[in-house]
Amino acid sequence: MGLLKGVRAFAAAWASRPWRVLRRSLALLLGLSLLLGASAPVSEYQLKAVFLFNFAHFVEWPTAALPGENAAFVIGVVGKDPFGSSLDEVVRGESVGGRPLAIERYPDADAPRLGRCQILFIPATELTHLTQILDALKGRSVLTVTEGPAPRGAIVDLLKEDSRIRLRIDLQAARASNLTISSKLLRPAEIVDAGS
Amino acid sequence: MAPAEGLGSDAVERGVREPDARAWQFFAIAVATGILNVLSTPAPAQTSDDASTGELKRLSVDELMNVEVTSVSKEPQKLLRAPASIQVITAEDIRRSGATTLPEALRLADNLQVAQINAHDWAISARGFNADLANKLLVLIDGRAIYTPLYGGVLWNVQDYLLEDIDRIEVISGPGGTLWGANAVNGVINIVTKAARDTQGLYAFAAAGNQLEEQGGARFGTQLAPDIYFRTYGKYTDEGPDVTSTGASAHDSWHIGRGGFRLDRDAGADQFTVQGDGYSGHEAMPGTGDSDLSGVNVLGRWTHSGPDNTWMSLQAYFDHAYITQPYPAVPSSIFESGFPASLLTDSLDTYDLDFQDHFHLGSGQKIAWGLGYRATREANYNASELRFSPPVLDQALYSGFLQDEIELTSSLYLTAGSKLEHNDYTGFEVEPSVRLQWNVDPSELLWAAVSRAVRTPSRYDHDLYAPSGLSGAPPPLQYPTLIVRNNTNFVSETLIAYEVGYRAELSSHLTGSLATFYNDYHDLRSVTATPTTAFYPLPYPVFFQNNLEGDTYGFELSVSYQLLDWWRLRAGYNLLRESLHLRPGTTDATGGTNDTADPQQQVALHSSMDLPYNVSWDAALRWTDSFEIDDGPTGGPVVGIVPSYFGLDMRLAWRVSSKLELALVGQNLLHEYQVEYGFPSPTREAIVRSVFAKITWGF
Repeated sequence: MGLLKGVRAFAAAWASRPWRVLRRSLALLLGLSLLLGASAPVSEYQLKAVFLFNFAHFVEWPTAALPGENAAFVIGVVGKDPFGSSLDEVVRGESVGGRPLAIERYPDADAPRLGRCQILFIPATELTHLTQILDALKGRSVLTVTEGPAPRGAIVDLLKEDSRIRLRIDLQAARASNLTISSKLLRPAEIVDAGS
Repeated sequence: MAPAEGLGSDAVERGVREPDARAWQFFAIAVATGILNVLSTPAPAQTSDDASTGELKRLSVDELMNVEVTSVSKEPQKLLRAPASIQVITAEDIRRSGATTLPEALRLADNLQVAQINAHDWAISARGFNADLANKLLVLIDGRAIYTPLYGGVLWNVQDYLLEDIDRIEVISGPGGTLWGANAVNGVINIVTKAARDTQGLYAFAAAGNQLEEQGGARFGTQLAPDIYFRTYGKYTDEGPDVTSTGASAHDSWHIGRGGFRLDRDAGADQFTVQGDGYSGHEAMPGTGDSDLSGVNVLGRWTHSGPDNTWMSLQAYFDHAYITQPYPAVPSSIFESGFPASLLTDSLDTYDLDFQDHFHLGSGQKIAWGLGYRATREANYNASELRFSPPVLDQALYSGFLQDEIELTSSLYLTAGSKLEHNDYTGFEVEPSVRLQWNVDPSELLWAAVSRAVRTPSRYDHDLYAPSGLSGAPPPLQYPTLIVRNNTNFVSETLIAYEVGYRAELSSHLTGSLATFYNDYHDLRSVTATPTTAFYPLPYPVFFQNNLEGDTYGFELSVSYQLLDWWRLRAGYNLLRESLHLRPGTTDATGGTNDTADPQQQVALHSSMDLPYNVSWDAALRWTDSFEIDDGPTGGPVVGIVPSYFGLDMRLAWRVSSKLELALVGQNLLHEYQVEYGFPSPTREAIVRSVFAKITWGF
């Protein structure tokens, strides 16, 4: 253990000192990029979090599926949460239809509150349990979101293609959940509609 | 944001001093935008290298779909749990490197030694023994072994793929015989292509430059039924000649075309794959004649996945590879009978069947076992100067393995197992290993292993012979009739490897890995000469024996540092010390130099940047130590030097739209031409600086 600690301490020191100098000179580059009006790159889950935020606005839930007045509109994440703090940052202080937005995290498909959210994000790591999750939500108006390419079943699939995120929307699954999706989402998305 | 702002105003001042009016105007606009940018960032909690969430939230859905996410990614987390010296080359790494062929992509693995010999040939090895016809690596593409039993190595000129459709390349340095079998002595390279569903739609590219004269490729993927996906691809490469040491053309240009398909059916727990490829190429060969290369393969696999990472698979494949190599006529003279012009051909058919089952036994054990059968038919229609005995060889290989991973405590795992296989040259071979894995904490892993691995004889070691063509010796002198003779007593080379490694995620930005090894080799290939006498003046024929032994030790260090969200740095350093010697009482005609050609040290630095305006810039700098190389098994105890050198590759790419990318790639930028390999001679080749442009459509 002593050896390990020593190696780690050495690496930490080595990592911090020369790099701090380098980082400072790097700030110049960063400054230049800001100056040129280009925004700094976006991380994948920051962008996915903003997509989820948009879904809350561009999807219509049946009134019965929405929580009571002033109760929170819930975006749920099942399994290991890949967002870090991004999702919390995106919804902080935001509301939809007068309801504050809130995040809930569920350990697995058996979580009792799973069906209580309005949007459920199913990370890639949970894809093996997709059928189980979808079964648990059967008959409920929950907008299920996977990160693909995922097997069929969920309503929205966020596809990372090269370095952009694309939407794939399953209209049949949306209808089965009594959800109406705005054309603002449908137009740029790839539509799958096995029912028509 | 504060430091950026401060430095920003420095830059403004410099902008003002700029005399050019247009530049001034440009800067004024830029400053205005910059200030707006800074002002419009409301969240003070944001770190300075993240984009503002507020800004993103104001974008429409259409605009969001055009936002590019940073793609300079860290190594996969899973790697932290691998108790071996493994490096993974991701699809992203390959794309960003500007590599045009598989061997070029392997330069990305810091735990490999990669040297280009000429326009179409490569020497690639791990932990040394990168001799001409290196033979201690096992290489697989989607589970299909691609090393040739002709010499135990890989003909890198014919092994390639549409690089865009490769999912990852796992490079393991160190023995892997317990799972993979014979030939996984110093390392295993596992090339995994993407599933057909991940390669949907049209993708096409074209590239042209000075050395890469033209290259083009295309893939089309489509969904045939709700759970059936298909893709087909083609690729064509035409490379110009490299040069000899005088800078004159070496006349070794070549071209190769290939195509293939993959069909996946994803029926829940059961997955079915059928895939196949074919290629045909032609290479100019100075000194002999042009060589033709072709091959086809088809593979089928069924995988059944159960809960908790248990799975079972059955795989079968057929592979046919064909090479022809012309030998020009040698005229007869006073002491030579001469040779007629002839064509050496190597035709190899492989039929392989493999079953594996991975399951849990009780709560703390995971068992893996498998059975394998491989039949090969290798036909060498002999050239007059180079022959194999017998010319047609049918061989069968039976193998089985059993491995148990035991959870000793929640953080300590012991894996023990062995492969047992039977081959027609040497009979039974056993390749056991014991591996200990200690997950010190979630971000730290310490591992140690002891393994035995074997390299079974190849056709080259066992069956090769070459007539001398000498005749008419004045009596009582006698000339040898053979230069090289076959040796049916050649046995397997063996290795006992001792490894200790450490891998850690030292911070969320910094990961590192250190693997140390001590390898103890026995029965390595040596070259025995025929004793000379007063009446038998030439030391031929030579033949291969197993008289060499010795040890090697060293370490592989690699560090990956995510400096900023858009800038990743990677560094690797290898040290390799070799000490080989003859078994007491034996001799070697090359002085024990025929199996090694290895730099003692190797350094690599990779930088990957995502710049504004969808521009990415990648650079790889490598330094290879000088090394000694001999003149082949018939060349005697003479070594030459390949000098140390720096190499620099760069790629600058601009993503014009979501579908279109333009890239400019430079390889070997530091030298007009550079020797990477080969015994010094007027025909030793140097690799020419290569610059090419590439246009890519669709993703």
